[in-house]
Amino acid sequence: MLTFVGLGLYDERSITVAGREHLRAADRAFAEFYTAKLVGTSIGDLEAHHGVDIEVRERTGVEQDPGPILDAAADGDAVFLTAGDPMISTTHVDLRLRAHDRGIDTRVVHGTTAQTAASSLTGLQNYRFGKATTLPFERAHGGTGVPDSVVETVTDNADRGLHTLVYLDIKAADDDYMTADVAADLLAAEYDQRLAVAVCQAGSSDPSVVADDLPVLADRDFGPPLHLLVLPGDLHLLERDALVELAGAPETLVANRTI
Amino acid sequence: MGRRKKIVQECERLMDEPENIRNIAIAAHVDHGKTTLTDNLLAGAGMISDETAGEQLAMDTEEDEQERGITIDAANVSMTHEYEDTNHLINLIDTPGHVDFGGDVTRAMRAVDGALVVVDAVEGAMPQTETVLRQALREGVKPALFINKVDRLISELEEGPKEMQERLTAVIRDVNDLIRGMTEEMDDIDDWTVSVEDGTVGFGSALYKWGVSMPSMQRTGMDFGDIIDLEQADKRQELHERTPLADVVLDMVCEHFPNPIDAQPMRIPRVWRGDDESELAETMRLVDEDGEVVLMVTDIGVDPHAGEIAAGRVFSGTLEKGQELYVSGTAGTNRIQSVGIYMGGEREEVEEVPAGNIAAVTGLKDAIAGSTVSSVEMTPFESIEHISEPVITKSVEAQRMDDLPKLIETLQQVSKEDPTIQIEINEDTGEHLISGQGELHLEVITQRIERNQGIPVHTGEPIVVFREAPQQQSREVEGISPNRHNRFYISIEPLPEDVVETIKLGDASMDMPELERREALMEAGLDKDTAQEVEHIHNTNILIDDTKGIQHLNETMELVIEGLEEALDDGPLAAEPVQGALIRLHDARLHEDAIHRGPAQVIPAVREAVHNSLIDAEIRLLEPIQEVRIDVPNDHMGAASGEIQGRRGRVDDMYQEGDLMVVEGVAPVEEMIGFSSDIRSATEGRASWNTENAGFQVMADNLQPDQITEIRERKGMKTELPEAINYF
Repeated sequence: MLTFVGLGLYDERSITVAGREHLRAADRAFAEFYTAKLVGTSIGDLEAHHGVDIEVRERTGVEQDPGPILDAAADGDAVFLTAGDPMISTTHVDLRLRAHDRGIDTRVVHGTTAQTAASSLTGLQNYRFGKATTLPFERAHGGTGVPDSVVETVTDNADRGLHTLVYLDIKAADDDYMTADVAADLLAAEYDQRLAVAVCQAGSSDPSVVADDLPVLADRDFGPPLHLLVLPGDLHLLERDALVELAGAPETLVANRTI
Repeated sequence: MGRRKKIVQECERLMDEPENIRNIAIAAHVDHGKTTLTDNLLAGAGMISDETAGEQLAMDTEEDEQERGITIDAANVSMTHEYEDTNHLINLIDTPGHVDFGGDVTRAMRAVDGALVVVDAVEGAMPQTETVLRQALREGVKPALFINKVDRLISELEEGPKEMQERLTAVIRDVNDLIRGMTEEMDDIDDWTVSVEDGTVGFGSALYKWGVSMPSMQRTGMDFGDIIDLEQADKRQELHERTPLADVVLDMVCEHFPNPIDAQPMRIPRVWRGDDESELAETMRLVDEDGEVVLMVTDIGVDPHAGEIAAGRVFSGTLEKGQELYVSGTAGTNRIQSVGIYMGGEREEVEEVPAGNIAAVTGLKDAIAGSTVSSVEMTPFESIEHISEPVITKSVEAQRMDDLPKLIETLQQVSKEDPTIQIEINEDTGEHLISGQGELHLEVITQRIERNQGIPVHTGEPIVVFREAPQQQSREVEGISPNRHNRFYISIEPLPEDVVETIKLGDASMDMPELERREALMEAGLDKDTAQEVEHIHNTNILIDDTKGIQHLNETMELVIEGLEEALDDGPLAAEPVQGALIRLHDARLHEDAIHRGPAQVIPAVREAVHNSLIDAEIRLLEPIQEVRIDVPNDHMGAASGEIQGRRGRVDDMYQEGDLMVVEGVAPVEEMIGFSSDIRSATEGRASWNTENAGFQVMADNLQPDQITEIRERKGMKTELPEAINYF
């Protein structure tokens, strides 16, 4: 049996109770942290907290050489841990399909994820989000500024009045995480003045949520990662009030977006 | 005031009068006497003493050149000559004749407007004669002929006037056949054949310092009969005094070679692909000294005091100290620290060098041989390094750890000076690779590192550079990214030979306007639909984008190209460079989000697809081959041809020439390593021989597996091949 377990958003306690039970009962536990990480804890703390050994796999050890994980799952109970939810954003559906190919049973234990945090913390309704996108570091997409496909996604969503959730690039190997101010700066070159919401340290006891013009956000320090940005489309009345109250949005900025 | 100083002053004065300037190169087959001839000209111009000319080899400035008795680098010199009561400034470049240093010849040709081709009267036109002529004509450089060593016809071969005339006529005919053949399809060249009557052919002896031409015979009244009499009577000094070589040749140069004003309007369109309607094009055609500065760097040298010196042709404007100039292919500008001209091996600083001259400047730290340097950003000149690809590699390692940084610096310097050298720095192992045109080429470079830089090095055995090339059309192959969200569908087929050649010659490249490139490729045999969709050219391989309207592909293309280049640089057989592949991208499936189709996903997917298509196209290993010509007495002919055949070679022709037999054939470069000592012992030292690189050839199937295994072992790769390679 291969159980995919989401570790949630922030530290060793972000996992669900069901996830914790599977983890502690497993014969072997694997994890990947190349696309996200739990900022509030370390592997050591995680292992100590749950009393298990965790084998961390690099990208190649999951994508190109998944054999050891599948072998362990064939021989006993293996869990595969990821930050957030195992099937959102970094989709491990490929690994799950390979397991099925070998006749291994699988199941998924969800974790809380950035996608839901973006709704929860901003008050923006999850029904009103369009396609999500990731803003890559300039060096990672072989060009400068914001890739066309990101602009396209934001524009398409905005045309339909929808919000865009913008994930920010993570280079775990270099311990490099794009922060909301850097992202706002890149996007400001594309959109100039535009309302955006920075959502930072989601899942911690003290997340910060700030709504303002991109150039204003570009000049702020949002503290340690992980961060994400939301580019709101049209605002429902309640969304407007939430952004003002929960994210400190200037009244003038939200007023003309309200429907 | 010293004599030298006076000449410099006179040169400076003449630099402003382009009508009276001649920029020329002397080029020839190895040992036909270029450098001795050049010394004569220097002596004639009063720059070295008359007595030592011929022995001094003033142009061979490097110790190893004087030792080996051959010219290795092209050397520059300026001199003055009075012709028809007008003083002329002659900027001259002596070029190496040995095949390994062909890159130097090509670069020299870019700087000049006339090429004096020297041919040995006894040996006649030889392979390198053909090569230097081709290099000159391709650059739009006008040839003239000097037939050297005529004294040998008289004294050694004891030929009479009639025999001599026949022999000389034959030499001229051979050279003209070559010129005609090479210029046939050049619309801008009318008739550049040489003739005695026109005065574009000179005869003489550089060693004994005499020479004649039709105009000189008319002037001095000396005819061949007089010459034979004096030569036979051993009155060579008198011969020299009555008809000095320098006057004859320099008169010929002034009379028959175009000055920059006549030459540049024809040469600029040949060597520059910028907008010919622009002001810049106009100032270059007019040799306008007040225009924007345009300098084409043809040589980088190092002066122990001044540092790096860039020499080249000023096509427009005036070079002065303190100018901030752009260097093609680099960002920002370099500041000129000094400008000068060459007098023999030495540089003389001058105030300024105007258009039409050959200048030597310091301060261009980013320039390499081949750079375009200019006061405004401009389309660079055509690349000049497309004739020779490296065929031999050697590893170089510093003996002392302390020398490591200095060795890297020196190697980088070497490749700057001579772009036909390729270096590969490996800081991890300290074992660097240096690739060049032949054994001698690499030997000379490593000796210079040891001698000039004082860095003792260990060098490995010379290793031949291989290529890999597809042999047939492959099926469509799928490449899947590690996360399996991205797929690329690729097929590969061999490119037509002519297309490969066109790319090699630089006649089709990504630097040129799309329309021009398309036409060049179609002319070489690529069909229109294909030529229209060229997305990238890497070495001699072309990527065609056959996809239609795939979302996000345009922003992924950079990564596709990166993966493609990786796959082509390290082919699937033995990680040798791939050549002559036409890669078609038929289709692609991409992940919605940019982050899931980043470098870590796209590059391996494309690399895998390219390698698998190459394997399906039955990729084979190619090895470099050389054309070999051996001149040998009849009784050693069997041994000589045996030396070719015994090296997996093929003898194509054997014929009598004079009292010698000529054996011509081809053999793999790898087998030719050590040839020089073997042929010497096989023929008791009676053979003279010449080789010329002749591209790459598919190795026989029965030799492929062993060769591949050997290369893989040397590179530390695993020796078993991918399973799909089962066709040997």
